[in-house]
Amino acid sequence: MSQLTLLVLQIGFLLLMWVFVFAIVYALRSDLFGQRVRKLQPDAAQAGTPAASGFPSSPITPGGGTRKPAPAPAPAPANGEIASAQNARTLVITSGPKAGAEFPLGRDEITIGRSADSAIIIRDDYTSTHHARLMLWNDRWMIQDLDSTNGTFLDGSRVSVPTPIPLGVPVKVGATTFELRR
Amino acid sequence: MTDPIAPIASGSSSSTGSPNSAGYPSSTGSPSSSRGGRRAARAAGEPTPPSGIRRIRLPQKLRNLELALLLFACAINAGAIVLVQLGALGAIDTQLILLGAGLSALVLALHISMRFVARDADPFLLPIATLLNGIGIAMIYRIDIAEGDTGWDSAAVRQIVWSAIAIVCAIVTILVIRNHRVLFKYTYLSGLVAIVLLLLPLVPGLGDDHDGAQVWISIAGVMNFQPGEIAKIALAVFFAGYLVRNRDSLSMVGRTFLGMRFPRARDLGPLLVVWALSMAVIVFQRDLGTALLYFGLFLVMLYVATGRLSWIVLGLSLFLAGALIASQVLEYVGNRFANWLNPFDPARYEAEVGGSYQLVQGLFGLSNGGLIGTGWGQGRPDITPVPQSDYIIASLGEELGLAGIFAILALYLLFVSRGFRIGFAGQDDFGKLLGVGLSFVVALQVFIVVGGVMRVIPLTGLTTPFLAAGGSSLVANWIIVALLLRLSDTVRNHPRLVIDG
Repeated sequence: MSQLTLLVLQIGFLLLMWVFVFAIVYALRSDLFGQRVRKLQPDAAQAGTPAASGFPSSPITPGGGTRKPAPAPAPAPANGEIASAQNARTLVITSGPKAGAEFPLGRDEITIGRSADSAIIIRDDYTSTHHARLMLWNDRWMIQDLDSTNGTFLDGSRVSVPTPIPLGVPVKVGATTFELRR
Repeated sequence: MTDPIAPIASGSSSSTGSPNSAGYPSSTGSPSSSRGGRRAARAAGEPTPPSGIRRIRLPQKLRNLELALLLFACAINAGAIVLVQLGALGAIDTQLILLGAGLSALVLALHISMRFVARDADPFLLPIATLLNGIGIAMIYRIDIAEGDTGWDSAAVRQIVWSAIAIVCAIVTILVIRNHRVLFKYTYLSGLVAIVLLLLPLVPGLGDDHDGAQVWISIAGVMNFQPGEIAKIALAVFFAGYLVRNRDSLSMVGRTFLGMRFPRARDLGPLLVVWALSMAVIVFQRDLGTALLYFGLFLVMLYVATGRLSWIVLGLSLFLAGALIASQVLEYVGNRFANWLNPFDPARYEAEVGGSYQLVQGLFGLSNGGLIGTGWGQGRPDITPVPQSDYIIASLGEELGLAGIFAILALYLLFVSRGFRIGFAGQDDFGKLLGVGLSFVVALQVFIVVGGVMRVIPLTGLTTPFLAAGGSSLVANWIIVALLLRLSDTVRNHPRLVIDG
């Protein structure tokens, strides 16, 4: 092995290490420099500030990109069908500071409250630390009030025992109202 | 390389919380439904398929990125060993390469088990740890060649075996701990475990005095282990759980002085206890670095939990006072300080015990390396005492040069930044604190040991994470990797929405 070959191999090795480092940095780039701003679709842009419109301003996927805007004020299907694991797909905030935001429904229970370990964290003066929770009982979505100070309201009446939630019926926690949709 | 990364990166970053997501870590998918499919369905404007139909298995983008990086890292590792053999022996010997291949297989086993139990875990931690571990093995092997050790005498072979044990430990950790919140239940138990592990080396008959520091235990004279390394994980778990439970009293009350809110005297208890613990480590175990590591870990976690600078001020002044007193009273600490200040003083350089010979040889080695190093196998790192453990960074600096050292430090930087990111994106306070604590302990350890070798701070004996020869250190750091991976998977798996009224 001549010295020259070894020198070339050494430089090659160092380069390889740096390529590895930069491969990671490249894969991380949107983490380091922020994500590229995507243009709003024209109809959404005309609708003014997203939060004011019924446009879901903050879908849980900011990277979602080209997702179609949901039909603005969704027609509430007031047919009284109980939300179940099969027919309910999202929880939509209908009024309050984050009106329009959506939250995907899986099969896990969803805790609502002021504490940082809640799934939906609502920080306002009316919400208790552990306020309420949504859970699946026999495949149906139920709301349970966790002994909150100001109460949880399903369609205007206070929830005292775990109650099944019909699709499209407003649930009020503090200053926030949400409903379950398909 | 470019194409597969591009779409993935947006996925990875959005899930760790991109800057614009106000507390929204952004994954749509719950464990049962995967987000890629949902997003694609939405994008196409199609109605979501009726459930009851089994979802098609979706490509695991994060895992594929990890696999690509992992194979890259394994290739670099193999290249390092081949270069060592070419440089030092002038020929290629396949035996060790085969052992290294076995290690790559184990790392891939960890990767495959993550495909099943931690699909959304961070894709960068594992490749970085693999590369650092492999470079460490190559350097240890190179020093074995210089010292003529073969077979079981060879530290490299032992390091490979330990790496295998460590990676198996990581696999077990990730399989057993399915949710980091179970650790929260064992807060006080892990505190107890940490204390017991710290005290083990002082037990007569079990402790093993090594170079003056009593931090080793020896089981039947065969297995040497440094329990303090495992203790740092237990301590991180304990501090995280303890601070989540008690931080209100530590952060809310107190009086303001000099623009900082200082805690009440009775809330100083935990700080004083940890301080006393680290001073005990300095005095009884004669180990400055470990004490600094534990105390620094506690301070940073306290700061992250309470957000109050006064804890840092109080803690640092306590530690500095303790270290200054120790440097006056304890001879070995005094020597370390003197070596740090005047290493080139002939009296210090030639001192039989506690002289600066090692420090100065390390510096000579680094300067011999220069910008691109002497090349694998062509320097003389074996002149420095313990070139394969405490001084491995000087050995690497000699043979890989400044360019190589910076690449290694960049890898650590990326590793730690991923850890902080995971902590930052976490939803529960315990997970946040644990993520920050575990990654900070790696960062601090690198700083203490690299800073010591390069004469930024007094030299203290600690292992360089992943690189240095030493089984306990490898096991501990691979468990840290497994815990961080588990944390990052939980972070991504649970969608969350924050509404600020």
